[in-house]
Formats: sequence, structure tokens, C-alpha cells
Amino acid sequence: MSGLTLRLKAPTAGPIGLAGVVPSKLAALSGYDIGALVIGAGKDSVTLGDVFSISRTSGDTLTIEAEGAALDLVGSGLDSGTIRLVGNAGAQAGRKMTGGTLEITGNAGSLLASGMTGGTILIGGNAGDNLGGLLPGDRFGMAGGTVVVDGNIGARAGEKMRRGTVVVRGKTGAGAGTRMIGGTIWAEGGIGPLPGLMMRRGTLIGPSVESLLPSFVDCGRHDLVIVRVISRYLKDTLGSRAPKAMPLFVRKIGGDMATIGRGEILLPA
Amino acid sequence: MSEATRAAKTVNGIVIDDTFAEAFGMSGTGIIITADSMKWARIAATVATGFGTSVIGCGAECGIDRELKPEETPDGRPGVRILIFGFSPDALVPQVKNRIGQCVLTSPGSACYSGLEAPAKLGLGKAPRFFGDGFQTAKKLGASRYWRVPVMDGEFVIEEETGVTTDAVGGGNLLIVGNDRAGLLETAEAAVDAIAKIDDVITPFPGGIVRSGSKVGSKYKGMFASSNDAFCPTLRGTVKSELGPDTLAVLEIVIDGLTSKSVADAMRAGLKAVTDGGTKRGVTRVTAGNYGGKLGQHHYHLKDLI
Repeated sequence: MSGLTLRLKAPTAGPIGLAGVVPSKLAALSGYDIGALVIGAGKDSVTLGDVFSISRTSGDTLTIEAEGAALDLVGSGLDSGTIRLVGNAGAQAGRKMTGGTLEITGNAGSLLASGMTGGTILIGGNAGDNLGGLLPGDRFGMAGGTVVVDGNIGARAGEKMRRGTVVVRGKTGAGAGTRMIGGTIWAEGGIGPLPGLMMRRGTLIGPSVESLLPSFVDCGRHDLVIVRVISRYLKDTLGSRAPKAMPLFVRKIGGDMATIGRGEILLPA
Repeated sequence: MSEATRAAKTVNGIVIDDTFAEAFGMSGTGIIITADSMKWARIAATVATGFGTSVIGCGAECGIDRELKPEETPDGRPGVRILIFGFSPDALVPQVKNRIGQCVLTSPGSACYSGLEAPAKLGLGKAPRFFGDGFQTAKKLGASRYWRVPVMDGEFVIEEETGVTTDAVGGGNLLIVGNDRAGLLETAEAAVDAIAKIDDVITPFPGGIVRSGSKVGSKYKGMFASSNDAFCPTLRGTVKSELGPDTLAVLEIVIDGLTSKSVADAMRAGLKAVTDGGTKRGVTRVTAGNYGGKLGQHHYHLKDLI
């Protein structure tokens, strides 16, 4: 796809859903057909051309300039290429992403990366509740890919998360890793209260945790090779956005013992 | 055929025969073994590649390719890359499973990772993970899955798969002929050292050197290979010998590589090390082993490697 810029024509009254507006889909369309693409649903549906002025640009990035708008489902279904949103995203950005890169310069709303299986999401600001979580009808939350949030994230991040990596520069909200099945959440600013309720497997990493559920147990101080492997992998894939490596020894908190207890919270020892 | 008619060239007084090494297509895989120190990475790698000289008798040909600096390994610790060669990817499966399960899983502080990027994959941690008895957990990072198996000194981390290639070559060789057994051994050692600097190859025999070069078949049933009588100096005069009257010993270097080019590069490096030494250590001639060119797909002519 050649580069494309969607520039918001005027502030919108309500949220606009951008499901399926992804480079691989737009690449097959003419300029006219892109403008005629229907977004939203039912009586609220409009065409892309109604809301955005559309222009071709150099490069191969789909740029969305939408300061002041509430755009839901940005990058939903992204499978390849790059989407760059200048501004804030609403709910479900990057939902069911399988590849490519989604960059949001501002904040992202709830359910960022829900059902994501591949690709990379970069958030310049904060992200809302249920990052990497699931919607009714979904069997699992995030199942692959990488999310980096420069700010803080809301409650219950990684609910039923199965695979993938979430890196947070700031802190997580309450209940991170609730019902987690696998994957990694690394919060450089610390882990919020009561993480890992009914967590089966998976890893939460941070410098501290606000409070622990009674069903989590201290497994002691360890030099875990896997932490080095995760650090090396993130350094190789994220470069300067990778979290600072953990110290050689970490304290492993195992749980949730209310279920199979194969999950872990890793803190500096 | 006399030695004089076989000679392609003389380099530093050493006769290089106008002949070729005949090598065979094989399957090969690479594995990175890390540990807390290079000493323990070496120990694990040495044990894991033991009893891996000839695919006929050992099931696989194995060796250490090279040592890796911490920045070259997935966990930032010192490591060693080993190569394992077999007749087919399927034949490598039990070899990898047993060697890693018995020799690396057991070695203090060890971890094990894919050492070959290739489209085809071979199970690496698929079997050893079951040692965890249900306490093992997996961590998927990008396209790689790592298993964490609880052991008594912490965790054994092993990647689920490694690459496997069917473009590997086994049986590149040099035969170093001379009249001073000690000098010949020193020369062969220098050649092995030079070959060790080439990536993607191993010299699977003890110290990289074979003194019992073999011919195909035997007069005895059940023997696939037997003494290469034409190159045994004590049989000179009693058999159709390939050796001149002054020859006291012959040492062979066998080379396996992940690609044909790597085998050729290794033979070139070994040949140069031999000829650079000249005749002062009693080396008189370099030749190569072949079966008339009818069995192996890869032919490495010595004259092309000088």
C-alpha cells in the first residue's frame, strides 16, 4: 500500500468505529472506493470520506490524524503494515490484530489488544482497563504479539491472556493478570493491588507489588535464566523501548494456589 | 598408479594428489548450550557430543562448532554451539532427545536453545520437558517457545524446536601421509585447529583426527566398514598399497558441515595448514578418500582447494 493519511474533517458527536480500516484492505481499493468505505454500523454508519479527508502520502503507513475524536476499534484486524494514530484511541484498539504495527501517540481506551495474536502495539500515553482482555464470547484474551505502553494501564490487564508480552513503563491497575493462562506483563513502574486472581500460568514482572492475594506464596530468591531470555528478547525486538533488565536475582511469588498455581510474580530480590 | 602420476602439485615439498574427497548428503542440526561459565558450557557440550564419531556406529556424527560470547546467546551467558549430523531428520530425533536429555538437562546451570535457523524444524525441548512431571511451564516469545523445567539447581530452560537442514554434507576428508608419526600428528592437530575457525563444520573424530580410515564392507558378515588396507603402512607389500616405500603413517581428518561450501572451506583451511608446515614434520603427501565417485554426491578435488 502506498501511504495514506486520513485527516478528521470536523469534531464528531459520538464514537466512530474503524473496524477493518487496515492497510491490507485499503491497498486493494481505489481512492474513490476508500472514500466510499462504510464505517460504523446501523443508523450510525457513515463513509470514510464523510468523516475524513483522504490524501496519498509517501511511505507505506496509514496515518490517522484525529485529535478530539473518539475512534473505536482502530487497527482492529490489522494483519500487516503500519497504522499511526495521531491522537487518542477509544475502545478496542488493535482488537484481534494478527500482525503489523499499530502506533498511537496518545492514550488508548479499554480493551486495547483484546484477542490480539500477533504484531506490535505502541502507546505513547496511558491505556484503559482490560488491556489484552476478552469480550463476551471470546474464549481467551491476548494470545500473541507485543504491546508497549509508555504510561500507566488500567484494571484487570491480561485477563485470560494466553500468550504475548505487555510492557508498561508506568504501573498496572488492580487485578493485573486476573485468570491469566500465559504470557508476560512487565510493569516498570510497579504492579497494582491484588494481581493474578485465579491465575493459572503466566508471568508478572515489576519492581514492586501493592498487595498480594492470600493464595499467592513466596517461592524464594532465584537466579532465573528465563528472565534473562525475556530481557534479551525484548531488547532485540523493542530496542530502546525495552524495559531495563531485572537484577540477577528475583523473588518469585507463585500462584494462584486457588487454582493450579503455575503463575508467578517476579520482583527484585 | 604410481604416486608420481597422481601428483597434482607440490606445495612446500608436500605432494598434493590429483584426487578428490567423496562426501555424502546428510541432515544436520545446530544446538546452543549455555551455562553459568564457559567451563560448564564446554562440559555439557563435550558430553552431549560424545560417542558421535561415525553415523554408522554411533547413530550420529557430533561435535562442537564454536564457542559463543555472552552477547551471542539467547540468555546472555557463555555458550557453545554443537552440530549433530545424521542420515535424515527422523534419524536425528532420538539422537537429540537422548543426548540433550541425558547430557545437557543433567549438567549444572545449563540451558539449551536453537542453534540453526532453517524452515524445517526438529524437536529440541519437546521430549525433555516431560522431565518436569507437570511442573514445567512454557514461555512463548515471538516465534520461539521456551520450556522451563524445574531441576534441583533452579530451572532448565530449553527451546522447543531447532532448525534442521537436509543440505548438510558428511565425509569431507583429508589424508595426511608422512614418515614421522609424531610430526604427522602435530601437523594434523594444526589442520584441525585451522578447520575449527570455519563456521558450520565439525571434525567428529577424537581430537578431529582418525587413524583408522575405513573402506566400505568387509570379509566378515555384519561389518559395514573395515580396515583401509591400501593405506595401512604395515600391509605395504602384501596388499595393493597406496603408500610409497618411505611412508610410516597416515592420519585422516573427516569433516561434516551444514553446507557444501562450509565443508570446502574447511578442507581448504586444513590443507593450507598442512602445506604451510612444510616437510619439517615428516609430511610427504596429502591425498583424499573416495569410492570412485559413484557413492557420494559431493566431490572435493584437492587441486581446487590449494
